[in-house]
Amino acid sequence: MSATFRRRILPYVLVSPLVVFIGALSFVPTADTAVEAFFRVMPLDPPTRFTGLGNFRALFSNPVIRTSWINTAVYVAVGVVLSVVLGVAIAVALRRRFRFRGVVLALVVLPWALPAVVEAVIWSWIYNPTFGVLNSALHSVHVIGGYHLWLGLDRWLTILLIEIVQVWQITPLSVLIILAALQSVPQDLYEAARVDGAGAVSSFRRITLPLIRPAVAVAAVEALVLSLNIFDQVYILNGIAPLGSSIMLQTYVTTFQNLNFGGGYALSLLVTVATALLSMAALALLYRRAEAT
Amino acid sequence: MNLGTLSRRTGTLALTIGLITTAAACGSGSSGPAASSSPKSITVAVAYPSPPKALLAQFTKQTGITVNWVNIGWDDLQTKIAAAMSANTYFADAADVDWSKVGEYEKTGWFLPLNKYFSPSGLSTDMPQIDTFVVDNKLIGMPFDSSFLVTTVNTKDFQKAGIGSVPTTLSGFSAALKKVGTANGMANPLNIQFATAEGLSTCWYQMTAAFGGSVLSAQDNPAFTSPGSPGYQAMNWMVNAYKTGLVPKANINTTDYDGFTTEMAKNRVAATMCDYSGSLASIYNVPSSSSVVSQTAYEPTPGSTSAGMNVANPDGIGIPRNAKNVAGAVKFIKWFTSTQNQAIWAGLNGTKDVVSTFPLPDRLSSFALLGKAGDIGQASQLAAILKAHARAPFPNGAPPWYAQFSNAVQTNIHEAAAGEETVQQAVNAIASEVQQLKSSG
Repeated sequence: MSATFRRRILPYVLVSPLVVFIGALSFVPTADTAVEAFFRVMPLDPPTRFTGLGNFRALFSNPVIRTSWINTAVYVAVGVVLSVVLGVAIAVALRRRFRFRGVVLALVVLPWALPAVVEAVIWSWIYNPTFGVLNSALHSVHVIGGYHLWLGLDRWLTILLIEIVQVWQITPLSVLIILAALQSVPQDLYEAARVDGAGAVSSFRRITLPLIRPAVAVAAVEALVLSLNIFDQVYILNGIAPLGSSIMLQTYVTTFQNLNFGGGYALSLLVTVATALLSMAALALLYRRAEAT
Repeated sequence: MNLGTLSRRTGTLALTIGLITTAAACGSGSSGPAASSSPKSITVAVAYPSPPKALLAQFTKQTGITVNWVNIGWDDLQTKIAAAMSANTYFADAADVDWSKVGEYEKTGWFLPLNKYFSPSGLSTDMPQIDTFVVDNKLIGMPFDSSFLVTTVNTKDFQKAGIGSVPTTLSGFSAALKKVGTANGMANPLNIQFATAEGLSTCWYQMTAAFGGSVLSAQDNPAFTSPGSPGYQAMNWMVNAYKTGLVPKANINTTDYDGFTTEMAKNRVAATMCDYSGSLASIYNVPSSSSVVSQTAYEPTPGSTSAGMNVANPDGIGIPRNAKNVAGAVKFIKWFTSTQNQAIWAGLNGTKDVVSTFPLPDRLSSFALLGKAGDIGQASQLAAILKAHARAPFPNGAPPWYAQFSNAVQTNIHEAAAGEETVQQAVNAIASEVQQLKSSG
């Protein structure tokens, strides 16, 4: 093998399987979706024909879809804030060495390791209005007088409770990301700060937070993407009811229940664009070069 | 090492972990390859539990074909069929053909016509509902039950409230239920589905029939927009029943049919409207899953002035166009819909061989077997309701845009019950959807 081949050709040869793999499974379908979004594709009413912005107009005139966008925005806001705050808090707690730390870490990671559907089913038992643990616990400490129906009647409560399930699942990911960053922060800095008279809060604000800021940004973007694409939890806990519906759920309903593939492509395209733009915005906002003061 | 370098390193590390974990999470959500069938096996995908293993083993012994039974919830199964057929992908050798989907499947060609294997004209005397599965002379599926919606009551609960005979009008029925609730300590004595699922749409068709009408006209126009129309009154009655507490609040999101029938089986409600014919034999009278054995009875659905009509919604089984083992599927369908087996699924051999949630046999000859064996599962009462009160929900058959229509129906009635919109708004939204579907179709 010549040196020229090794230097100029081999890298491309080695990377080509990955390029083909990603291209075939990601870029081609994305491009196909982008094109088909402008066509009327309905298997029950062929033929397929160009419709310009027709699919998008139909989507924006649909009140259920509009509601789902608003709901999704709430899912994202709650999901990002809760998972990042909890992620930082748990990671800071787990940074210290203590007995059974490994076991605790494994338990913390467990919700992330379980499939979302399984978790949603577990939480459906917790929220069950007849025999759920939540009712039982709150009733036993006299917070509620009688058993409540938690999901399906109040829009914001439904969204909050569904998002809690997702936060429960995605927070371990934030914990792992932030914990990895925390463990890279040298102890010398804290010792120097302590010599200079800095307390725990001051050290956290002036050393820890600036140094883990990029990790927090990554965790926030992960939470944003996962919350924006929330589906399983909504579907299991609340069915396809518009109250609490997410935009991914509407993509599913439009595509596979209404068999309006063109509408589904258009909605998928919008979700993709929204995800990309919001992720970039979040990274630009949070992923700044750290400056310890 | 300065803080900037540290920051970049921790950021890079975090980004790497994030990407790896995201990739792992994506991977964990993917499904495996579709189940495949060898010539000696078939995959059957229906919204019913499997017949007993011993009986499936008999089929295997007779034919040499092993059956891989896939039981998927009705709504999810329709999605699976649509997704697989749109992608032209194999998913089963025999699959559910619902009465509401026959028009769609004929139009799309997703299911093979079965005329080569079964004769609709020859079978129609014994299978009265086979015509439901014929479009343009093509037999799209073979009916395997003669399901229709009924009202089921717990007679013991009614008797405890001093009510000997169930009222035949809805106003009388509502008043009776309040008494039954008080006498039996039930806060919400009536079971009606309100989750956004097909069961809610079907229940509205049923209640509209009980008020003496249909939701669509013969030309598939909305027949429910006027407040005096049966469809409007039916929706109003249903939503009121929910809002006034006659129906358990939890029904707003109980999507699972088993969960829904459990309320009746565990005596947490005293009556179920829009229940399925056959629930007595296959659920309520099965001691292992019910605490109301021999306490429940079918009743004609109460109407506005007298007993109303009952909506028929038979299930069928067909062969997807990309089935791998068509010959095996044909043999299975013949076996599954045979006179003897239809009666066995409904309780001919006792509860041990019952197919859970199986409604009525589709063959009159199977009815006769059940009748001779001691009127199993109130077969004679059901046969009487079937002959006198059962009818198709749409005068012109299910429209080809049924899926979107049903979605609008269930969504808007659910919203009305949850208090997110009024009945008038729900009616307007459904009517608007119908007009849009008709104009675009």
